[in-house]
Amino acid sequence: MGSQKKRNFQIEAFKHRVVVDPKYADKTWKILEHAIHEIYNHNASGLSFEELYRNAYNMVLHKFGEKLYSGLVSTMTSHLKDISKFIEAAQGGLFLEELNRKWADHNKALQMIRDILMYMDRTFIPSTHKTPVHELGLNLWRDNIIHSSKIQTRLLNTLLELVLRERNGEVINRGLMRNIIKMLMDLGSSVYQEDFEKPFLEVSADFYRVESQKFIECCDCADYLKKAERRLNEEMERVSQYLDAKSEVKITNVVEKEMIANHMLRLVHMENSGLVNMLLDDKYDDLGRMYNLFRRVPNGLSTIREVMTSHIRDTGKHLVTDPERLRDPVEFVQRLLDEKDKYDRIIGSSFNNDKTFQNALTSSFEYFINLNPRSPEFISLFVDDKLRKGLKGVSEEDVEIILDKVMMLFRYLQEKDVFEKYYKQHLAKRLLSGKTVSDDAERSLIVKLKTECGYQFTCKLEGMFTDMKTSQDTMQGFNSAHGADLGDGPTLAVTVLTTGSWPTQPSITCNLPTEMLALCEKFRSYYLGTHTGRRLTWQTNMGTADIKATFAKGQKHELHVSTYQMCVLMLFNNADRLSYKEIEQATEIPASDLKRCMQSMACVKGKNVLRKEPMSKDIGEDDVFFVNDKFTNKLYKVKIGTVVAQKETEPEKQETRQRVEEDRKPQIEAAIVRIMKSRRVLDHNNLIAEVTKQLQSRFLANPVEIKKRIESLIERDFLERDNVDRKLYRYLA
Amino acid sequence: MRRSSTRKTGQSNSAASVNSSATDLFRSASSKATSKELERIDQLFYSYANRSSNLIDPEGIEVLCSDVEVDHTDVRILMLAWKMKAEKQGYFTLEEWRRGLKALRTDTVSKLKKALPELEKEVRRPSNFVDFYSYAFQYCLTEEKQKSIDIESICELLDLVLGSQFQAQVDSFVEYLKTQNDYKVINMDQWMGFFRFCNEISFPDLRNYDPELAWPLILDNFVEWRRAKHS
Repeated sequence: MGSQKKRNFQIEAFKHRVVVDPKYADKTWKILEHAIHEIYNHNASGLSFEELYRNAYNMVLHKFGEKLYSGLVSTMTSHLKDISKFIEAAQGGLFLEELNRKWADHNKALQMIRDILMYMDRTFIPSTHKTPVHELGLNLWRDNIIHSSKIQTRLLNTLLELVLRERNGEVINRGLMRNIIKMLMDLGSSVYQEDFEKPFLEVSADFYRVESQKFIECCDCADYLKKAERRLNEEMERVSQYLDAKSEVKITNVVEKEMIANHMLRLVHMENSGLVNMLLDDKYDDLGRMYNLFRRVPNGLSTIREVMTSHIRDTGKHLVTDPERLRDPVEFVQRLLDEKDKYDRIIGSSFNNDKTFQNALTSSFEYFINLNPRSPEFISLFVDDKLRKGLKGVSEEDVEIILDKVMMLFRYLQEKDVFEKYYKQHLAKRLLSGKTVSDDAERSLIVKLKTECGYQFTCKLEGMFTDMKTSQDTMQGFNSAHGADLGDGPTLAVTVLTTGSWPTQPSITCNLPTEMLALCEKFRSYYLGTHTGRRLTWQTNMGTADIKATFAKGQKHELHVSTYQMCVLMLFNNADRLSYKEIEQATEIPASDLKRCMQSMACVKGKNVLRKEPMSKDIGEDDVFFVNDKFTNKLYKVKIGTVVAQKETEPEKQETRQRVEEDRKPQIEAAIVRIMKSRRVLDHNNLIAEVTKQLQSRFLANPVEIKKRIESLIERDFLERDNVDRKLYRYLA
Repeated sequence: MRRSSTRKTGQSNSAASVNSSATDLFRSASSKATSKELERIDQLFYSYANRSSNLIDPEGIEVLCSDVEVDHTDVRILMLAWKMKAEKQGYFTLEEWRRGLKALRTDTVSKLKKALPELEKEVRRPSNFVDFYSYAFQYCLTEEKQKSIDIESICELLDLVLGSQFQAQVDSFVEYLKTQNDYKVINMDQWMGFFRFCNEISFPDLRNYDPELAWPLILDNFVEWRRAKHS
């Protein structure tokens, strides 16, 4: 032989000599098949897990995974078919119970099978992309049981019927329902949705549609809402008890749509029980319920808000235009405050302090308060009344509360400058007559106005207070300097008013009686001695005097009169009889004022310190006056002709209105110039808008008036029109 | 027709010395005009001018008008004033006269007369008319600080200046001005506004009038008045 080839040693793996028994696969499968049967027949206890596992393992190992898998499918399927028949056969209420039981069994079996076939599950199945055992088991259940023609519809109908019965008040087996529903959920969300949820929602919609129609025919609004609320709560509970949590929002949407959204308008406008009635009767609970229910549906809250707004505007409009109400300004304002309080309470208790509702309330008030051009005047009169007597004895906190409420109304006013004018007039009268209940309250209100409108608004008002204080100091100085000289003569109390701070009064002629002249001159020189460069003018139409009078029969009285009246009365110290003309000549008081002053002394019962011939009601040019010897009054101190803030007469109103309009013109011009100076060039519409915005806090500027002012400024070469674009204005430096 | 053949040489010299720069401009800008023409222009001036003031005054203008056979209230005289850039109504200075006649290339009365139709055409060209229209207003301001003209005069001026072009609008507006009480005078802004109005707003329907735009208030009122009247 030739040379021996050197051979490498090769160690081969030890291989079991497996006899590939052609029947091996079948035999092994038979074992497993048998096991599955036993499992389904509740005979699993006799099986050896380890043996079965090994068998399954071997099958897969020897490449018989396919056989194993398909065997599993067919075995399980045939079992499920049997189960299906069994369930179909169940009668009535047992149907669900059987289904439930069999489902539980199936799951237990499936788990065992899965454990046995674990090796296949982990190796063969992933590599061949087949459905894993557990999932397979569920799918087979689904396909053979749930979707079997005899079960599918019956199952759904049974479930829906149970829900219906529960809705109608019956008690049902919720545990069973829960299990069945959970089964559907476990089988996949599409199964749950297609085989239950979708039909459930449809049926529910029909149910509630019918029910809501029934209720709305026979219930009033409050009752209906209660019922709707109840149903809503019911459905939510149902979901939490036996449905998928994701169904909650879907079913509540159905209820909301059918019971609330579809009937929203009818509910709100229901006669005698709708929203307006609830508002009128302060039905806080019902309103709260309506709010909570309506907020769930689109446009729900806006519907409530709209109806409420139009109601408030209507009521408000009637309030401010009702001629009866307009007789008493204080009452008028009080009603407005009451109305505001009412709605504040409603929005607080029932509408969750919803900002949009608060805004609606504010805009409504803004709307109707400004319908009446006298609102600014009336609010000032209300404040006047409070500060004169209304706040007497009221605690500090309560005073603040009332003043804050007044400020709220003030904010709604468009014509704040009109309010300012009246407030000034009324304040002046209060200060000069000393008729204010509380200095602190006055000042507190000024501070509030300053916070709201700025320093400009209140600096003159504060000036008035300062004048009062300064005058007191001045009088002290005067009295200590000249007090001794006065002796038994008349006394003088002077208030010095700074022109410009106080409402403008035309100065009127009036000759002071000689008894006073010397004293007045003394004061004048004293004052001018310490304040050179100033000019003093006696405001005879604003003063008062206290006179001690002795009448013919010895009656003694102290008369509190106006300065004019004092001048007239003092004349009678030197004459018993005076004609109107003589009085006019001596005092030089203008006719209209003189006539009014004479009237209050000669024609008013209880105050007639003078007697007039003829005894007519009006003062005639040829009348003659005497001291009334027969004058009597129970009181020693008699007040004649007090000066009280009243509602303006028609001509006075016109005058005030005119003055306000005149004052506005320079303000508008100043705004225009300010804006144009910073913008340099601006178009017409924007200029109007900006001017309006700037003046908003004082009054609502009229676009026509603004245009007039613009043209006036063009004429005076402050502005010019652009050559090319007519809409543009240019600032001329 | 007075014609003075005596030329006041001294005058023109002094005028030249006083306004030397102006005269230089005058002469330099008018490169085409001959000095003969310039002489004749000056001569013509002095034939109408007032001896003492050395201006053509209203009397002189009246004579000029009859010479060119145009009424002194005719719009063409106003146009002539415009061409001259005359500052004071009723008076022409030498400078203004020179300016006007030079631009018109006339140096005799007959040439001036013939030039008037051409002048009118020139003025009526849209590019010039605005300027003329605004000039017409300013020309009528007689006082130092005057800014507005009384209604009566405005009505006449409107008819004179715009009558031929916008008779309907002018007639209606004049009627309004005479009946309303809000305005006693018209200012430049309102005057110009009316011209724009005639040009831009369809009449008599006033269809495209938008009060939101910045028309002078008087026109807003006018439109309102018209609409109320014709509704």
